[in-house]
Amino acid sequence: MTGLKIHQDKCVGCGLCVKTCAADALAIQNKKAVVNEACFLCGMCLDSCPFKAISIEKQAAPKEDLSAYHGIWIYAEQQQGKILQVAYELLGKGQELAKQKGCKLTALLFGNDVANEAQSLIAYGADEVLLCEHPLLDTQIGENYIDLFDQLIQERKPEILLFGATGFGRSIAPRIAARRQTGLTADCTILEIDPVKGLLNQTRPAFGGNLMATIICPNHRPQMATVRPGIMQVQPCDVTHTGEIIRVDYPDQDASKTASIELLEQVIAAHVNTIVDADIIISAGKGIGSQKNMELVKRLAELMGGVVGVSRPLVDIGWSEYQNQVGQTGSTVSPKLLITFGISGAIQHLAGIGGAKTIIAVNTDPEAPIFSVAHYKVVADCVEILKHMIANLEALPENGLLIEESKDKLS
Amino acid sequence: MKIAVCIKQVPSTNEVHMDPVTNTIIRDGKQSVTNPFDTYALEQAVQIKDHLGGEVIALSMGIPATERLLRDATSRGADRSLLLSDRSFAGADTLATSYTLSLGIRELGGVDLILCGKMAVDGDTAQIGPELAEQLGLPHVTDVLAIDAIDEQTVLCRKATDNGYQRLKVTLPALLTVVKDLNMPRMSSLPGILYSLDSPFESKTAADLSADPARIGLNGSPTQVVRTYVPQRIREAIVLEGDESQLAEDILNIYSEVI
Amino acid sequence: MDLNLIKPMHDDYTDYLRDESRAIGQADSISFPKNEYEVASLLKTLYAQGTPITVQGARTGLAAGAVPRGGHILNLSKMDHIKGIRQSADGHFHITVEAGTILSQLRKRIEQKKFDTADWTNESQQAFEAFKDEPALFFSPDPTESSATIGGMVACNASGARSYLYGPTRDHISGLRVVLHDGQIAALKRGDYTASGRTLSFPTLQGNQITVDLPTYIMPKTKNASGYYIEDHMDAVDLFIGSDGTLGIVTEVELRLQPLPQTVWGITCFFSEEAAALDFVISARDTMNQLASVEYFDGHALDILRYQKKHNPGFSKLPILPDHVNTAIYVELHCQEETDAVEGLKTIGQLLEKAGANPNDTWVARNESDRDRLLFFRHAVPESVNMVIDQRKKTNPMITKLGTDMSVPDQHLKQIMAMYHRMLAERNLESAIWGHVGNNHLHVNILPRDDEDYKKGKALYDEWAAEVTRLGGAVSAEHGVGKLKAKYLEVMYGQEAIEEMARLKQYFDPKGLLGAGNMIEPVKGEVSQ
Repeated sequence: MTGLKIHQDKCVGCGLCVKTCAADALAIQNKKAVVNEACFLCGMCLDSCPFKAISIEKQAAPKEDLSAYHGIWIYAEQQQGKILQVAYELLGKGQELAKQKGCKLTALLFGNDVANEAQSLIAYGADEVLLCEHPLLDTQIGENYIDLFDQLIQERKPEILLFGATGFGRSIAPRIAARRQTGLTADCTILEIDPVKGLLNQTRPAFGGNLMATIICPNHRPQMATVRPGIMQVQPCDVTHTGEIIRVDYPDQDASKTASIELLEQVIAAHVNTIVDADIIISAGKGIGSQKNMELVKRLAELMGGVVGVSRPLVDIGWSEYQNQVGQTGSTVSPKLLITFGISGAIQHLAGIGGAKTIIAVNTDPEAPIFSVAHYKVVADCVEILKHMIANLEALPENGLLIEESKDKLS
Repeated sequence: MKIAVCIKQVPSTNEVHMDPVTNTIIRDGKQSVTNPFDTYALEQAVQIKDHLGGEVIALSMGIPATERLLRDATSRGADRSLLLSDRSFAGADTLATSYTLSLGIRELGGVDLILCGKMAVDGDTAQIGPELAEQLGLPHVTDVLAIDAIDEQTVLCRKATDNGYQRLKVTLPALLTVVKDLNMPRMSSLPGILYSLDSPFESKTAADLSADPARIGLNGSPTQVVRTYVPQRIREAIVLEGDESQLAEDILNIYSEVI
Repeated sequence: MDLNLIKPMHDDYTDYLRDESRAIGQADSISFPKNEYEVASLLKTLYAQGTPITVQGARTGLAAGAVPRGGHILNLSKMDHIKGIRQSADGHFHITVEAGTILSQLRKRIEQKKFDTADWTNESQQAFEAFKDEPALFFSPDPTESSATIGGMVACNASGARSYLYGPTRDHISGLRVVLHDGQIAALKRGDYTASGRTLSFPTLQGNQITVDLPTYIMPKTKNASGYYIEDHMDAVDLFIGSDGTLGIVTEVELRLQPLPQTVWGITCFFSEEAAALDFVISARDTMNQLASVEYFDGHALDILRYQKKHNPGFSKLPILPDHVNTAIYVELHCQEETDAVEGLKTIGQLLEKAGANPNDTWVARNESDRDRLLFFRHAVPESVNMVIDQRKKTNPMITKLGTDMSVPDQHLKQIMAMYHRMLAERNLESAIWGHVGNNHLHVNILPRDDEDYKKGKALYDEWAAEVTRLGGAVSAEHGVGKLKAKYLEVMYGQEAIEEMARLKQYFDPKGLLGAGNMIEPVKGEVSQ
C-alpha cells in the first residue's frame, strides 16, 4: 500500500512530526503519531523524526532495464553563438561526477554556426561534444529543440542529463523530461553520486533556502536536473585535454507540421548596473520606519557606489519598486558587500542574499534572523547609522576619489 | 475562447520558522493561499474573456480544502472550477502532477488556452507548465510578461528572457506561464463573492478521470525525496559595538577593506 | 541618580524636537531613561530645578503633544520591555508593558505568542503557559501609525478604524503606573480607586494619599479625546488616560486582550454620489452588528490617489479605482463564523442598492494579502496628502497641513458633511476629507497653496470648532489635544471648565512644568511651526 507509515515500535509520541507537518495531517493519539487523509506525502516529517519512525511506502515500480544508460551529459547553452558561463560550471561538476562514475562526460552544443565553440568545451573537460547545427537552432525557440534532445536520448541513452537553470534551460528541460517520462529536479545547488547506489543525489533549496531537500530518481533514466548558475566551480582550462566532436543530424521535420511558435523579435536589453550584478548593495527593510528614510538609503548607496535593495514588504507597501526587491520572489544577489538596514530577515529574503561575500546587518532587534547570516552584527537605530555614515562620507575630502574608485571596480 | 487556469494551494510561507531547539521547520499558521503567481494567470484569463468572450475555468489538483481557493477564483471572474482530488494523487512530483492536470484539461475538453503561474512559491520548480504542455502535446511559452494581442487562433506575447525579451506569435491551443506584474489582479467584488458561493464546482477522482494508476501520485513519480535537512549556519556574526558614530565608522572601515 | 542621563541637546537630537504634526519645538536637554527608577530620579531632579519636562514616545502624534517647549525631553523609547502577563478572574489576559513599547512589535509578539519570559515572575510564566493554549487574542486599538508607543496611545487615548466596534485605547487599559512630579509613584489598577462623586483619592507607593476635587464639566456623548476625562465615580486610571503627559509620567501600562475574531472581511464600497454613501453609512450602522469599522474617503482624496498611482511608482500597486466614483466607504466585518460574514455581505449588497449604488463597485478582502491591499489603499490617502504638502513646503516653509479631528453625534452626520463641503467651496480651499464616518468623526484636511490659504484655513478651523461644539461634538476625537488643539478646548468646554482643568493640573503639577503647553494654553508664547 502506498502511503505514510508510522512504525509503532519506534514512535515515542514526541510530536516533532506534528509540528513539522504543513498539512495538519499528523496528530498524537495514545502517545503515538497518527496520520489522516490530509497527508499529501510531502515527506517533511520523515527527517523531523529523531527515531526514524516514519517512512513512505511506495509500490515497487516495474523495473526497466537501466543498465543500458551510460554517461553524463551536460547541455552547453549558447546565446548568439557564445557559450554561457553556466555550461562551463556544469562541465566542472560533470568532470567530478564522471570520474566517480567512471564514465564519459559529454557536452551538447546546439546552434547555427557554433562549431568553433566545441573545442573550448573539450578544454574545459568534455570528453565528447555532440554538435548539431541547424538554422532552426539559431534562436532560442524551445520547441525546436525538444525532438533533437529526445532523439539523442533515445539513441544514446545517457544516465545523467544536466541543464543550467537559466530561463531557457528551465523551459525546455521539463518538456524533455515529460517526453521521456523521467524525473527532473529543478534548480539544484549540490550534486553528488551516492557512493553505494551510484545514483545522482540532487540537492536543492526548499522554503527559501531554510531547508535543503535531496532528491533521487532511482528507476527512470536519464536522471535529469537543472543546476543553479553561479554555484558549481569551473575547472581550469586544459588545452591538452582531448575529446571527440561528433556531429549529429537535426531530426527530420514533418513537412505538414507548421511551427506553432514564431519569433517576431528578440530584444536584448542594454546592460545596466542591476541589483543582480552589483558589487555593493545597500538594502532596507520595514525597520527604516518611514518612506522618507528611503532617501537616506539612496543617498548612502550613491555615496558608496552601490545600488539600493529592499525587502519585499517595502515593495508591497509602495516604498520601493519591484526591480529593487531581493529575496525568493525578487532577485538573488551576490555582491561583495551587502549592508542591510532594518531588514529582519524573513527566510524568503535570506534566500536571496546567500551569495553575498560580506554582510553587515543593522537592526534594532538583537534577535532578528538577519543576524544568523550576517558577518557583522550591528544592533542600533538604522536611521542614526545611515545619517552618520552619510555625514562621514560627505565630509571626506577624498570623498570624490572614494566614489570614483568604487565605480571603477563596479564597471 | 475556453481558458483553463491552473491554481495551486500553497502555504502562506511567511509563517514558516525554525524551532531553535529541535531545528525542525514549524509552520504555525498552516493557512493556505493561492500561489501568488497563479493570481496573475487568473487575471489574465479573465481579461481575455472580457475581451473575446468565452469561459474561464479554474483547475487544481489538491486536497478537498482546495475548493475554497477555486471558489475564490470564481469570485474574481472565473466561471467555474474543477478540482482533481483523490488520495491516490498524494505524493505526486511534477511529472505525476502534470499528467493528472492533463487529464483534467482533457476532461474539460476544447480548451484553447491554458494559463499557469510561472512557478509555485513553495516548490519553485517552474516545471508544471512545460510538463503539462508536453503531456497534452501543446506548444508552451514560459515567463510571459505581456500579452499584446489575442484572437481565437493566435496570441502575440512577450516572453522574458535572461537578458531581455522575445516577441512571439503562438498558435492556439497553447499553454503560457506568466510572471508577476503582467497585470493587476482584481479584488473580488461583492456580487463576485456571492456568485462564488454557489458557482459550478466539480471534484473528480482518479477513477472519474480514468487515470493510469502507474502515472499518478507517489507511484507515478520518478523522483523521490530521500532527505530534508537544515543547512548548517557555520557563521557567527562579529558584533560591532559603540555609539552610533563609532558604529558608522566601523562599517565604513569594513567597506574600505572589502571593496 | 546617574547625572549622565541628562544630555545637553545637540544636532544629533534634532529629530526629537518634532513629531508627526510637523510642528518643531526647542529644548535644552534630553534623556532616555531605561526604567521607572530613572524616570522618578529624573523627574525629582528636574522638577526641583524648575525645568519644563515633555514626555515622548515614538513621536507619531498629530497634535504636537510630544513637541517640547523648552526645558527637557524625557524620551521613553528605551523603556520597551514586556514585563508579564496575568489572567484575571473573568478569564481575560492582561499584558503589562513599559510605556515605550511599540504597538507593532507588541502586536507581533501577541500574534506569535512569543515573549522573552526570562525575567518574568512565576505567576506571569504560569499565565503565559495558559495564554499559549488560548485561541488567538489581540489588543484592538489600531491607530494608523502602528509604530506608536503604548505610552503615547495612552497619553492621547488613541483610537483607530476599529474603535468603531471596540472603543478607544481607554477601554482596553486595566492598569497604569504613573510617576508623579515629586518622584512618587502611583500603581493603579482599574476598579481599585474610584471617585466618590467628583472627589478622587488614591495612594502612592510611598504611602501618601492623593485626594483631588475633579472638575464639574460634562463630556459630550460622542467619540472624544478632548480635555481631561471626567465623570462621576470615575476610575483613577481614566484620569491619566488622555492627559497628554500633563499630570504625571505613565511608565507602565497593563492592557487587556480580547479574542481575535475568526473572520475579518474588509469591503471598500464606491459611490458616484456622496449622498448615497452617507445614506449607506446611516442605514448600515442602524441595521448591522458585524461592523468593526466604517471609514470614509471623499472625491478629492480619491483624486489624489489616482494622481499618485499614475505618477508615483511607489503607488503604482494601488488597485485600479473605477473612473466614475467620487466617494469610498470602507467597512470591516468582524465575526466568529464565516456564515455571519456572508450574511453581512448580503445585507451590504441590499443597502448599496437601496442607496442607489452599484454593488459591483466593491472590493472585498477575505484573506491576508487582499486585506493588505486594502490597507495599503487606506494608508496611501494620508501618505499621499502629506507628500503634496511636503512638496508645497519646499517653496513655502510656512505651509503645513491643517487637519481636523472633530466628531459630532450621529444625527448630525449629513449636516456636518454638508457644512464642510460648503464652507471649503466658499473659501475656495483645496482639501481632502477622510476618516471614521461611523462615529461621524472626519479628518478634514485643508491643503493650503499659499499663506492666504493657510490663514483662511485656520479661520475655518475656528468656525468649525464652534459649530461642532454647538452640535454637541468634540474638537479632538482621537488625536488628543496636545499643543495644536489646546485653544479649541475653551471653545468646546467654556472658560470656566478650562479654569477647572487648570486647577486640576496645578494639583498634580504645581509649577506647571509637565507637558508644558499641552491641553492648557499657556498665557504667552507659542510653539513655532
